[in-house]
Amino acid sequence: MSSPVAAISIQGLIKDFAITLRGVKLRAVDTLNLEVAEGQVYGLLGPNGSGKSTTIKIILGLLGPTHGEVKVFGVPSGRVEARCKVGYLPEAPYFYRYLSGRELVRFYARVCGVKKPTLKARVDEVIDWVGLSGAAERRVGTYSKGMLQRIGLAQALVHDPKLIVLDEPTAGVDPVGSAEMCELIRKLKNQGKTVLITSHLLAQIEDVCDRVAILDRGRLMIEGAVGDLVGKRDRQALIVDPLPPEDLAALKVWLEERGHHLNAVEQPRARLDQVFLDHVARR
Amino acid sequence: MKFNVTAFRPARTGLGVLAGLGLAGLASQPLERAAWTEVRASQPALALDSIKDALGQGITVGLLGGFRAIAADFFWLRTNSLWEDTDLPGTQTSIKIVTAIDPRPLTFWLNGSRMIAYDMPHWRIARAGGYDATPTVVQRRFDEEQAQVAIAYLQGAFAFHPDHPLLTLEIGNIYLNRLKDLENAARYYLQATKHPDAPFYAARIYAELLRKMNRPAEAYAFLKELHPKLDPENPFAQAPVVLERIRALEADLQIPPSLHYLPAQAKKATEALTQ
Amino acid sequence: MSVVSVSSVPFSLGRLGLIAGNTFLEAVRQKLFGFLLFLSVGLVASAQFFREFNFGSSELKFIADFGFGALVFFGSALTIATTAQLFFSEIENRTALTLLAKPIWRAEFIFGKLLGVFAVIGIFCALTVGLLIALLWQRESQLMRFDPEAFAGGRIIQYGDLLIVGTLQWIKFGVLAAIVLLVASFSNTNLFTVVMGFFVLVICHLQYLASDAWRHVDSVIGALAVRLLGVVFPNFQLFNLADSIGQGAGIDGALALRVAAYGFFYIGVIGGLAVYSFRHREI
Repeated sequence: MSSPVAAISIQGLIKDFAITLRGVKLRAVDTLNLEVAEGQVYGLLGPNGSGKSTTIKIILGLLGPTHGEVKVFGVPSGRVEARCKVGYLPEAPYFYRYLSGRELVRFYARVCGVKKPTLKARVDEVIDWVGLSGAAERRVGTYSKGMLQRIGLAQALVHDPKLIVLDEPTAGVDPVGSAEMCELIRKLKNQGKTVLITSHLLAQIEDVCDRVAILDRGRLMIEGAVGDLVGKRDRQALIVDPLPPEDLAALKVWLEERGHHLNAVEQPRARLDQVFLDHVARR
Repeated sequence: MKFNVTAFRPARTGLGVLAGLGLAGLASQPLERAAWTEVRASQPALALDSIKDALGQGITVGLLGGFRAIAADFFWLRTNSLWEDTDLPGTQTSIKIVTAIDPRPLTFWLNGSRMIAYDMPHWRIARAGGYDATPTVVQRRFDEEQAQVAIAYLQGAFAFHPDHPLLTLEIGNIYLNRLKDLENAARYYLQATKHPDAPFYAARIYAELLRKMNRPAEAYAFLKELHPKLDPENPFAQAPVVLERIRALEADLQIPPSLHYLPAQAKKATEALTQ
Repeated sequence: MSVVSVSSVPFSLGRLGLIAGNTFLEAVRQKLFGFLLFLSVGLVASAQFFREFNFGSSELKFIADFGFGALVFFGSALTIATTAQLFFSEIENRTALTLLAKPIWRAEFIFGKLLGVFAVIGIFCALTVGLLIALLWQRESQLMRFDPEAFAGGRIIQYGDLLIVGTLQWIKFGVLAAIVLLVASFSNTNLFTVVMGFFVLVICHLQYLASDAWRHVDSVIGALAVRLLGVVFPNFQLFNLADSIGQGAGIDGALALRVAAYGFFYIGVIGGLAVYSFRHREI
């Protein structure tokens, strides 16, 4: 069996921005090596200025690398063919305000070369898929932030790409919208798509990502499967019904007799976003 | 000192763009030269030295930039405004600026000379106290001076419109109407009639001038020669009017009926009858 | 989701047309277009004012001069402002980010923009020249009734020539739009681009002076600089055939064709240079 081509392969990537003619430059990405396998949901994390957006722009061919190589499904990212299989949702997307949602998706579909016989059905399909059928005839200028994200996702998916790049897809979106976006990402994963996602909301990333990489000042600090990075392998948690004090003491004794130690007894807490979602009706 | 090579990419691109533009300029030269020679020929040279002081820098650049026609129009409107104020030096200067900017439209030369020759003497007489207070000799001097300015101005137009019959006629008109100089007026009218584009009335007026100068025989000969050349179908040629004048001159000159001028058709009919 | 068939033609006129169509739509919805069109049409219509002067048949020359003056002045302003605005609205609103992340060539983007602006300016020219023709025809018909002898040779205005001059001005605006796009391709601000656009417009109108004068410059360096100026910039005076209208001399068709060819040559070359300059621009 031949080894599958990685969806994204980054080898020794360096990106410098020239600041002055005297040699002063800003290194936005510093010797980055990454592989994103096909079918994964991959999180690219890091504080502001860590090089996430620069890396994404290089993957999309919007910027050229200073050194190193970036390939998308084996094709150098600077080539137009590399973008045929990529869908991109930029951070806080802004679209042509005078077009309706349907016109916008149709425009991008045609730009991507979706052929006429399938065009209408495909546009309807992705609009329906992101849940905007009811607002498809409205001008994009009247959309809320969450709706803009969803129409943005529709335009990113309209040509059925294998790789979807989502730059801060939940930034500025309310928890309902964020949860819906996470749901859509999971659906994409189920369809076998590769998703590269950057986000500041680490809890959401944790929920949907298979693997994450953390960047800081252009350098890769840590990379791995989410379970490996956040799981504490030398600890276990047992969640039980509320125990009366005497039962708890007995349990502690029972554990100590067997050489174990009870480290903490805590009240499990629901996550606030979950409480929010349980009490706010979904649109 | 260490230089950042990537920082020079814009400079490299800029040089590449300049080189591309330069090559395009050289490549397009055969096309441009041929067209430009032709376009240039329709644009008389700008005599900027004579008017530079009267124009602002912006207008000078506009003129050089090809906005001569509209600049001349604006100055012509200004001339009309000065004319309404009977500002003699202002109007006279403005008239000359207009044709210095754009000497191509005849209308500027013709109307400008009319202002100089016909309106300005009135203004000068009015300024001298009016017709009653100004001696006839002075009035005549004003007429002559303005007429000379206008004629000199019109002579300048021939540099741009060689032998144009309307300019020749305009000079003839000034001799006729302002200076009452029939001899010179007739000379210019005759000159105009020799031009293929001369208006039909030029020949009729020339003959009338000859008659007024007591040279009816010359007028008769001229009209006899003119009449066969007139298109009877063209209402502006006024062939019947010319024939009427021929008849009037025949009466004045007491030419016997047998020797009367016969138009071509009548001649043919007469010949047919005699045969 | 269904799999769609996506065409990936290397350079597609269809994509170019899509971008041009979108640019056109955006431009005609801008207030600036309506405003300048209103001013231009207003100025042409105000030619009625010349009746006050009783110029006779010369009035037609004034109407034609003012009509073409309005076309040249407002057309230049519209070309520069619209081209710069449409380019920078894509960059500043980050719609270029979404668009250029699609499988499109930067050449398609630049020439699409150019074609869109060219179409907008075409509409502007057609409306202004159309109104001018209607006004001249109506006024000439009136004057012919009042003073038939002045029109003994038939109509003075050659209406075909008006169309030729209008078309040549349109092509000149096309060259100007390409120049503005070239400036925009490396400029960082809309303002700089607009100022440079007007600056280059003036230089191109005075270019012939440099072509004529370089032989008369004493210093070698001076002569070289003046010669360079004459070679680098296109000659906009070549398009200035409007003065012949109403003065008896008609426009030579072969000359008009040569001038049009010169204009299209420069649109292609400068558009190509804009692509060359834009190809590495960091979006």
